[in-house]
Amino acid sequence: MIQLKNLDKFIESRFQRVFILKGINLTIGEGEFLTLMGPSGAGKSTLLNILGLLDEDYEGEYFFGDRSIKSMKERERSSLHKSEFGYIFQAYHLIDELTVYENIETPLLYRNVPSSERKSIIANLMDRFNMVAKKDLFPAQLSGGQQQLVGIARAIAGKPKVLLADEPTGNLHSGQAKEIMEVFQELHREGTTIIQATHARENADFGTRLITMLDGKIETDESI
Amino acid sequence: MWKNYLKISFRNLRKRKLYTGINLLGLTVALVSFIVISLYINHEWSYDRMYTDYDRIYKINQEFVSNGESQLVPSSPSLLPVTLLEEFSEVENATLIFDLSIFSSVMIDAGEGSQEENHYAMVDEHFFEVFDFDLIAGQKTGILSEPNQLVLTETTAKRYFGSAFNAEGKSMKVDGEEFLITGVMEDFPSNSHLAFDFLASFKTHRHSRNPEWSPSNYYNYVKLKPGTDVAAFEANMAAMVDKYLGADLAQYGYQTAFFTQPVTNIYLGDPTLSVIKPGTDIKYIYIFGLVAILLIAIGIINYVNLATAEATERNKEVGLRKVMGADRVQLFGQFVSESMLLSMGAILISILIIYLVAIPFENFGGVPLDLSLLFTPIGLASLIGLFLAVGLLAGFYPSLILSGMEPMKALGNKLKIGGGAWVRKSLVVFQFFVSMGLLISTFVVKSQLDYMREVNLGYDKEQVVALNYHYNMRESIPTLRDEMIRSGAAVSIARAADMPHDVKAGYKIFPGGDNTREFMITGYAVDPELLNTINLELLAGENYTKSDPVRRDLEENGEMPILLNESAIAEMGWTAEEAIGKKVNVGFTNNALVKGIVKDFYFSSLHQKVGPMVIFNDPEEANVLLIKLASGNPTNNLASLEAIWKKLVPNRPFNPKFLDQEYASLYQSEQKVGLIFGLFSGIAIFIACMGLFGLVSYVALRRTREISIRKVLGATQSDVLKVLSLDFLKLLGVSAVLAIGFGIWFSDSWLDAFANRTAITIWPFVIAILGVMVLAILTIGYRSWKVFRLNPAKTLKSE
Repeated sequence: MIQLKNLDKFIESRFQRVFILKGINLTIGEGEFLTLMGPSGAGKSTLLNILGLLDEDYEGEYFFGDRSIKSMKERERSSLHKSEFGYIFQAYHLIDELTVYENIETPLLYRNVPSSERKSIIANLMDRFNMVAKKDLFPAQLSGGQQQLVGIARAIAGKPKVLLADEPTGNLHSGQAKEIMEVFQELHREGTTIIQATHARENADFGTRLITMLDGKIETDESI
Repeated sequence: MWKNYLKISFRNLRKRKLYTGINLLGLTVALVSFIVISLYINHEWSYDRMYTDYDRIYKINQEFVSNGESQLVPSSPSLLPVTLLEEFSEVENATLIFDLSIFSSVMIDAGEGSQEENHYAMVDEHFFEVFDFDLIAGQKTGILSEPNQLVLTETTAKRYFGSAFNAEGKSMKVDGEEFLITGVMEDFPSNSHLAFDFLASFKTHRHSRNPEWSPSNYYNYVKLKPGTDVAAFEANMAAMVDKYLGADLAQYGYQTAFFTQPVTNIYLGDPTLSVIKPGTDIKYIYIFGLVAILLIAIGIINYVNLATAEATERNKEVGLRKVMGADRVQLFGQFVSESMLLSMGAILISILIIYLVAIPFENFGGVPLDLSLLFTPIGLASLIGLFLAVGLLAGFYPSLILSGMEPMKALGNKLKIGGGAWVRKSLVVFQFFVSMGLLISTFVVKSQLDYMREVNLGYDKEQVVALNYHYNMRESIPTLRDEMIRSGAAVSIARAADMPHDVKAGYKIFPGGDNTREFMITGYAVDPELLNTINLELLAGENYTKSDPVRRDLEENGEMPILLNESAIAEMGWTAEEAIGKKVNVGFTNNALVKGIVKDFYFSSLHQKVGPMVIFNDPEEANVLLIKLASGNPTNNLASLEAIWKKLVPNRPFNPKFLDQEYASLYQSEQKVGLIFGLFSGIAIFIACMGLFGLVSYVALRRTREISIRKVLGATQSDVLKVLSLDFLKLLGVSAVLAIGFGIWFSDSWLDAFANRTAITIWPFVIAILGVMVLAILTIGYRSWKVFRLNPAKTLKSE
């Protein structure tokens, strides 16, 4: 589904190139639950951003399905981004001015989903995450775990094929973290491809494949 | 989608109260000014467009040329409309107006004592065919076609008879003569140059039975047939002049021509040709339009500046939305909807405010504001257009910046909006350039107004009152004069044809026998007391005495003593001493003898230079009585004069006008410009300073940490002020340089319209620029004081 060939990312400094990613070759199949691990600065987030089409400043090839991202037009990339990817952040990144309901609704609005369909999608999600009673609350009124649940609901509202999660449990205590990971597992069972970056080894156990990174390179790649 | 945009925009605006408040207030004030000025301009622009086929109606003016000097007059002879109707196939209709109010008022008596009326005109039977005003009572056919018929306006009819229908068929006495009221018409609209209370049939006037080619005392209008070539029509009129006036012209050695003026051009056209109502200089219409646009621009700039300044605060939101799939167009839509919402709010509040300020502005600007226009289809469309334009213009640039941020950088909070800075700086420069420029203009206008008020006019206008004089009063004058002076309330009393600041009659003059040296001269008919009363200085020769012949008693070819002013003898090429005793031909006499020379005085607006003047001993022509009051309380003096007046001329109204006030009214339009400039420059400064306050607030917020560190290191309050204000003061400096350039250009070109103008001094510039600077520093100072008061321990801890 996703194939990276000899992918580099670097910053041109005065005397030399500083590589953030170097020589990444990676193939990710549909339905995988992949965990990226490694110390800070190893390039996990950068790789996630590139995979999620948020960063286009790299060298090498990126194929999504059989199409090269670099050869796509801006419009195509943008629509691919909209239809195929969902994002979850460590700091939840909910929009403070919007209620729980509206936060989940936002990606649907940008995908021009009709109003009635929007309502039923959001109703299902809220039901699934037990948030019906909180739908009119603002993010500041929720606990961290609850906020991250909203973040997940928002990420999967557009029914993406690939879910990208950057330290999804980094700000949560272990109980909440476990709950989030169970949700991921469930989504994985339903067929969603999940790529997460994390520091916590126990999170990797929920997935099917573990990649460790160091200094912009892939160190190990193993199935679990 | 839009519902969602609006909802979010509304929450955002509500959350950021300072930002919203400044923008809303600024835009509202700007919009109120803009709408009020637009209504004003619309009113001035709509003049004389309410008649059917107004584009085919022309007024006929006349040009006199003599010795290469041309003079345009707004009037023409009574024989003209008759001839045009009879002999010109291209003329569909023609009508004549004889505006008596330029000569004197009339006394109207409807059976309950007489009242003085000033808006009285005679018109011929075609008036209502050319100007299709509606009649409320009476028949249009044959109206005003017989002598002694009268049409009243609705208001006048109500004033005298209670209602329009009561008035029809009643009679009134006008200066003692009986008139039958055959119709009542709608009031003249405020945007018609025609404005009368009474229209009498011209048939009443003796000239109507015997129309002539002279004098040119009538306002004549034609309605041309569709498709007429106006130039060809004027050429035909030139042929007519040759045919009927050729012999006369040859004899007196001058040329004349009739020319057309579109009826819509009377009010806004050449001010010397405006009649019945004083016109408005079209230049001012353009200036006010420009001011309105500048005010809106300043309000919009506030939004642009504040929105881009706080873009840094919103980068997280922008980044998130992009990650969630928002494309640039969608984000742009969201941010524009914010400015749209503000624009909508501002326009709704503006409309409410306009209802509150309409009446004060009417009193202030002297123009009725027709607010109902706002709710006509065109008015509503304009309001919607204004709302969209303001919203889009304000939102476009900030939305472009906000929507263009790159998501990962925005999310990472590493973003600095660098590109917006110079745009913001230029916009601030522009705002303060406009504010300073307007203020300088205000001061320049004011200094010219002061100059005109204080300049030595060559006569005394203080403590002089004018009363209407009528020919009927001539028998009472000696007693009136004696009693008034004996009462101790008056020092001197003179009769004159016009007020000394507005002498109108034109004559031709040349030194004895030599008609090649003919030139135009202004004639002032007075009695011998005038020189004393307004204190004209005699340079040589003598004033008239009672024994000098007056014009009416002049025998055939009898000697007529005259007084000339300095300009007149300069034109003749004489010194004052040489001039005495010289013979001249002037107007009606070939045998005028120069008896005295008076020092030049300003007998018309200071827009013109003092021209040559001849002063006749001709009290019969008098329309005003000028009275120099004794020193002491003028109210008491006037009271004693009124008692004497009521006793001696009980049927004439006593309504004294102070000469200095009448003089000031010559410059009404300049005063209006001065006031409006003052008002709107104040508004511009207010809006710009509010924007500055907002900008400084953001800067202060961003630099709170820096300022706290400085404070910990020992910075004083003035150091903090310096830190915050230096950048802005540099911008204001640039504005000041531009404003000085503009001010020099403006004062030069505006003062150019005055033949007698004040010198340009440095003061308007210094006061305007320093004033705005001080206001700006106060604005910044307040903000920096608030930052300075913050406890550094707290602000630094939050890092």
